[in-house]
Amino acid sequence: MTAIAPPIPPLALDTPGALSIRGLNKHYPIDGRRLPVLQHIDLQVQPGEFIAIVGASGCGKSTLLRLIAGLETDYEGQMQLDGKPIRGPSLDRGMVFQDHRLFPWKTVFDNIALALKHSRLDKAHVAARVNEHIALVGLQGFEHAYPHQLSGGMAQRAAIARALITQPKLLLLDEPFGALDALTRVRMQQELQRLWIQQRSTMIMVTHDVEEALYLGDRVIVLEPRPGRIRHVIEVGLAHPRERNAARLQSLRQEILGQLLSQAGH
Amino acid sequence: MRRAFNGQPLLWLLSPAALLLAWALAANSGAFPVQLLVPPQAVYHSFTELLVSGELREHLVASLSRLGLGFGIGAVAGMAFGTAMALSRNVEAFCGPLFHCVRQIPSIALIPMFILFFGVDDVFKVLIVTKAAFFPVALAACEGVRAIPRAYFEVASLYRLPLRSLLTEVALPAAAPTLLTGLRIGLSRAWMVLVATELLAGDIGLGQLIEMSRQMLRIDLVMVGVLLIGLIGFCLEGGFHLLEKRLLRWKPL
Ligand SMILES: Nc1ncnc2c1ncn2[C@@H]1O[C@H](COP(=O)(O)OP(=O)(O)O)[C@@H](O)[C@H]1O
Ligand SMILES: [Mg+2]
Repeated sequence: MTAIAPPIPPLALDTPGALSIRGLNKHYPIDGRRLPVLQHIDLQVQPGEFIAIVGASGCGKSTLLRLIAGLETDYEGQMQLDGKPIRGPSLDRGMVFQDHRLFPWKTVFDNIALALKHSRLDKAHVAARVNEHIALVGLQGFEHAYPHQLSGGMAQRAAIARALITQPKLLLLDEPFGALDALTRVRMQQELQRLWIQQRSTMIMVTHDVEEALYLGDRVIVLEPRPGRIRHVIEVGLAHPRERNAARLQSLRQEILGQLLSQAGH
Repeated sequence: MRRAFNGQPLLWLLSPAALLLAWALAANSGAFPVQLLVPPQAVYHSFTELLVSGELREHLVASLSRLGLGFGIGAVAGMAFGTAMALSRNVEAFCGPLFHCVRQIPSIALIPMFILFFGVDDVFKVLIVTKAAFFPVALAACEGVRAIPRAYFEVASLYRLPLRSLLTEVALPAAAPTLLTGLRIGLSRAWMVLVATELLAGDIGLGQLIEMSRQMLRIDLVMVGVLLIGLIGFCLEGGFHLLEKRLLRWKPL
């Protein structure tokens, strides 16, 4: 059940961010019929764990994250974060999308500050927290830039800062680097790993890049399409930060690619 | 075109200057009766006379206050109705077809009926202006609100944005580009139809200045009115463009 070599020191029992999913089913109504999208998903995520999810496109990865985020509330089964059932969006679950989803009419600073609107902090505290998070993702000097003035990687950094500023127990990432060029992607993966080690929050990341999943994930979950089911759970078992071309990652990569390709004919 | 405009700020003066020159040459050539083709200097002279006597001011105040009132009411009502239609299926179902039908009636076509109902005074003029502003604004508000991507609302709900922020910081700016275009079109139409109502009836206003001057065969004063109407319309639209540019400075060019 547990990782072969725990990637991070054992966590105190009260560390938040434990996600429990039991018997999750999700249907979408299509042409008056109920199309199963996710079937019998069981997943226990430890506090501070990094889960990577891979699977063919259309197999329900985004749907799973949207369910956990609370953006979809119509499902069967149980989902709990730290024992509390998930019924809708909450500030203890953050989400980053493939498109950065920054508001184009707000500057980087204001986009990030918007996430704190709910907490009704005074201006000085908001400014301090926002600047701290801008520094955290390395966007100093771009506080007053509008999203269209940023590169894809910078916009995604801003989106990550916005998601982290509320200090969510669980951060959901839906192919966050999918639209970036290869070099930027590698850099962003390192940054994300650094943030994760710093923040210690639980993270679940969907990706179609198997290497990315293996580089970041404590466990890699392989989904199978139509309907989406968990086909395999792979314990990576290497400490962070990792060597990109470690032999174990190479062999796991072959294994996962093999599993994904064997689905393709199906 | 925009680039030439920016690079050479005075280039645009060329065409009005050429027109003015042609007008001056033709009018002073003696080929046309002076009562019909008044030379520019005479028009300018009449303009300063009207200005000094304070008569022009009265006409301007009358026209612009009707415009302000009618456009204000029409724009506010249009935004409210357009938003309601975008958000509520019931409003759309009950009022949509009627709205889209009445929208097709040119404001000018309503003038005779409105005169019968409301007389020829300010009420009728303001109402016609209100109608002219209402429809483009309502349409723009409806389309602007409907086109707000669902993704924006998802982000707002993820961060539990308070309703006030949701409306003023997300929904309004998202709909603003469409809405502002609608307001600009509404303002321009309102101005044009106002002049038409003033031409037909009343005792004061720029349109009435033209009509009274025509009856007295004072073509110079007619020209003053016509030129002012064009100039004011140009300034209104230009001012609105500047406002749009300022409010939408976040948009990529
Ligand atoms: N709102 C929706 N209504 C109907 N079907 C949907 C909806 N969202 C997703 N689906 C369907 O559910 C399946 C899974 O979608 P998604 O979770 O986006 O897949 P993935 O992220 O793995 O590519 C797809 O077949 C998609 O067509
Ligand atoms: Mg997806």
